[in-house]
This record gives sequence, structure tokens and C-alpha cells, in this order.
Amino acid sequence: MESCDFLDLLREGGHMPESAGVAPAEHSFEGTEGTTILAVRYRDGVLVAGDRRATMGNLVVYDRADKVLSIDDDSVMAISGSPAIAYEIARMLEMSVQYYRRSQLQKLSLDGKLRTLSRLLRQNLPMAMQGVGAVIPIYAAFDERDAMGKIFFYDLLGATFESVDFCTTGSGSSIIRGALYYLNRWGGAPLAEMDEAAALELVMKMLETAAEYDTATGGYRENAHIFPTVMRVDASGIHSIGEDELEAIFQGRIA
Amino acid sequence: MLEEPYRWVEAIRNRRDYLEDQLRGASPVVATRYRDGVLLLTTTPGPRKVFEVYNEIAFAAIGHPADIEKLRKAVIDIAHLEGFNLSASDVNLQRLVSFGIGPLVKGAFDEIFRSPFLARVLLAELDPPSGDDVFYTIDADGSFVRAGHVAAVGSEESVAAIAETLRDHAPEASLEDALESALHAWACGRMAGEREEGEEAPGAEQVVDFLKNALTDLNVEAAVLDRSVPTKSKFRLLGEDDLEPVLSAHGKA
Repeated sequence: MESCDFLDLLREGGHMPESAGVAPAEHSFEGTEGTTILAVRYRDGVLVAGDRRATMGNLVVYDRADKVLSIDDDSVMAISGSPAIAYEIARMLEMSVQYYRRSQLQKLSLDGKLRTLSRLLRQNLPMAMQGVGAVIPIYAAFDERDAMGKIFFYDLLGATFESVDFCTTGSGSSIIRGALYYLNRWGGAPLAEMDEAAALELVMKMLETAAEYDTATGGYRENAHIFPTVMRVDASGIHSIGEDELEAIFQGRIA
Repeated sequence: MLEEPYRWVEAIRNRRDYLEDQLRGASPVVATRYRDGVLLLTTTPGPRKVFEVYNEIAFAAIGHPADIEKLRKAVIDIAHLEGFNLSASDVNLQRLVSFGIGPLVKGAFDEIFRSPFLARVLLAELDPPSGDDVFYTIDADGSFVRAGHVAAVGSEESVAAIAETLRDHAPEASLEDALESALHAWACGRMAGEREEGEEAPGAEQVVDFLKNALTDLNVEAAVLDRSVPTKSKFRLLGEDDLEPVLSAHGKA
């Protein structure tokens, strides 16, 4: 039987981007990096949110980067680390899922998607080890079999871990991780029982908190009309929360 | 054999006859435009014949299932490599056909000592950049034809009858009307394929009877490229809900 793997197809045709063989840099290389992302489980699924800032050392490179990317109709990937590699990985993953569905006439399972992402990260390892282009993704999907939203995160080597309630990565993550833990344990009700409105307010407040203490995380800026990216993953699929809705929440309950 | 040009021409002619003969029994595929995009319709006793290739490109074929599968895989591979290396908007039918599947099929047809692809392929693209070339049909010898409003693959007689039936098809038809006229055209095409030489074209009542009989053992397979769906992928196989009103009018429970 012929291979049904898009990555094999790329490799056969010589289209696979070179990753190995990066020489140790004589001068330390400072690449562009993305910053704070988080995913939280609530009653109906998962919310995944990311700020919009990309930095290089102490410089702000870009204030409108999208770090939460749709992969297919029921999953999203959020990235911290090098955007160049992360976008490429997201693209390969998206194409792999599409290619599988179209060529094999069935959907790739959630486990299959997780495994593909793991292989892509593993392939990037030689570069990551040189200190260039490391990517730490969060992957959120609605698992139809268990009828619930699920959050997964990875380490540099491609190991997959499932988060039960919430997950944060990026430079601002340590600032909000404790706050999320506190809220989940002593905040009255567990985070997984929140409704969508409460969950939306929570993730936006968390990103503002990260932006307050981490210079590499961009906050809400009313004058520049910059809002975080927030995606909802639930039984109906994935949905990007509109700027109007985010603006109303910022002005009503946060600012 | 190949040293003599005359024998070579004869061999090619035999090949054409063989292909036409083998494909004569196939149930044709009918494709038309409708209000929200493109409709492809055929009948099948079992295996699928209409497929998704890329976000806005659909594939249908008649012929040997294994050959159909090879060609489908080839087109999907080319489209996905293009889409990955460049962008989704660079994947278009004109290039897929003229530089991809056309030469591939022609290459197999030219190799006299090997079996050609026993298949005729129909490809459709939603709102192509070139304007009106919505459909391409690729014959088993690799030659291809473009069409704007309607297209079909089947035996020569079937295709001619379908084209005749759908000559006045309105591209602004609703899905239900388009399904009805595609199904009617399919029946005319199928009957033309089975007709003996010199026999007269069937009347409207005969077509209705034929369709009623045919639908008792065959499943209608239909798919659309629907520009009104919000997802990137516009392909949708039609389910019972979409087909039921049209099928029940022809007595299919």
C-alpha cells in the first residue's frame, strides 16, 4: 500500500525544508520569538488565547502576530517560540491532516494528529538544540469520542502531555500559571465549570496580567486597536472570537 | 512492431477501440453549474466515484477502480505539494490538467506494451481564475477538453446525449432543479450508451420509466463544490436530505 503520509510525499519530492546541519553560531543568534499563550477548559470545550507581540531580544518586532492557528475543523495549535518554524510546522500539520482526509477518505484521528505534530517537533530538534527556532506548541481539540475539549502540550523533543484544566507557555506563562492554579483550586468553582462568557473574561484578564509583568507580552491597546487572538474549540468545531466581542469585554469588564 | 509506422498507427487504433469498448458499460458522470457552485452526479452499485481533490477542486471518473484510484492519488499529490510549497490560491485546474494529469495519462497511453489507464476523468473547479473553464474532461489518451457550463464522462454516445439534454441548462438553477436535470441527463446518457445503432432516441416517458427502474438497484452519488459554505474546503458529498426530494419524485423510497 502506498504511503498516506504527506511528510513522506514532501521528502520524496525533495520539498522537505532542511533542518539538520545548522552550524553552532559564532555570535549568539537572537531570533524572533512569540510570547504568552494559554488554553483553558470550560464547560463546553476549550478557549485558546494568545497575545499579539513578537519580540527579538529587547525589541518589539511586531504587535499583530497571530499565535493561535486553526489546523482543521476541530483543532487549533497555539505557538510560543520561533514564529518562522512554528508557522511552517502548523502548515505541515494542516496539510498532513487535509492530505490524509482526502487521500484516505477518512479523518485522521486525534491521536494521529498528535503523533504527526510530535514527529514535526522531533524533526526540528537539531535546530532547536543549536538555540535556533525552538517551538513549544499547545494543541487543543474537541475529542468526539469522549465528547469533550482536550488540551495537549509538548516539550522540545516532541513528547506529548495532556493538561487537565489549563495550560500556559511562553515567557509570560510563569506569571499567570500560579494565578490560574489558585483560581482553579480556591476560586469558588473549578475552571472546567465556567460558562463561555466567564472563560472568555478569564483568559483576557490572564493575558493582561502577563503583559503587566512580562515586557515580551503585548497587552490590549485601545488606541492601536490591538486585541489578543482567542479561539473557541467546542462540539460545533472551532470559532474565532470577533474583535467586536473582545472590545466589548475589555471596555465593560477589564479596562 | 514499432519499426513500421503503419503498424504503430494500427496499434494505437486498436488501443482506442479497446478503451472505448471497455468503457462503454460505465455509468456516466454528469457535471453542471448551479446557483451556489458546481454539481457532480453519477450512479454506482457500490464504490465511490466522486471525490475531493483540493479546497475548490473535485474529481470524478469512470473506468477501472484501481486506475481511478491511481489517477486520483496523482492529482491529490500534485495539488497538495503545490498548495504547500506555494499557496492554496496557486492550485488551479488549468495547471493540474495541462502539466499534471494530462501528460501522465498520455504517457501511459503511448506505452504500447503496457496497459493504459482504463479511465476517463472529469475535474471541476469552483470559480476558476481563468474565468469560464469550470470543467475539464480527460480522455484515456490524455487529451483534454474544457467546458464552462456542463460536462460529462462516459461512452462517446452517452456524453453526446448528455450534452444534448443539458444544452439549455441554466447555471443559476437551484440545487434541487440542478439535481433533477442532472439525473434526467444521466438517464438519457445511460440509455444512449445501451442503444443499438439506428434505434431512435427515447421519448420523455421512456426516460422516466428507465430512471425508475435504474434507481431500484443503483445508488445516486452526488457532490457539490458549494461557495456558500464558510470553510476553506468547499466540497460536500450530498446526503439523503439533499437527494430525497429528487429521488422520491422518481419513486425511490
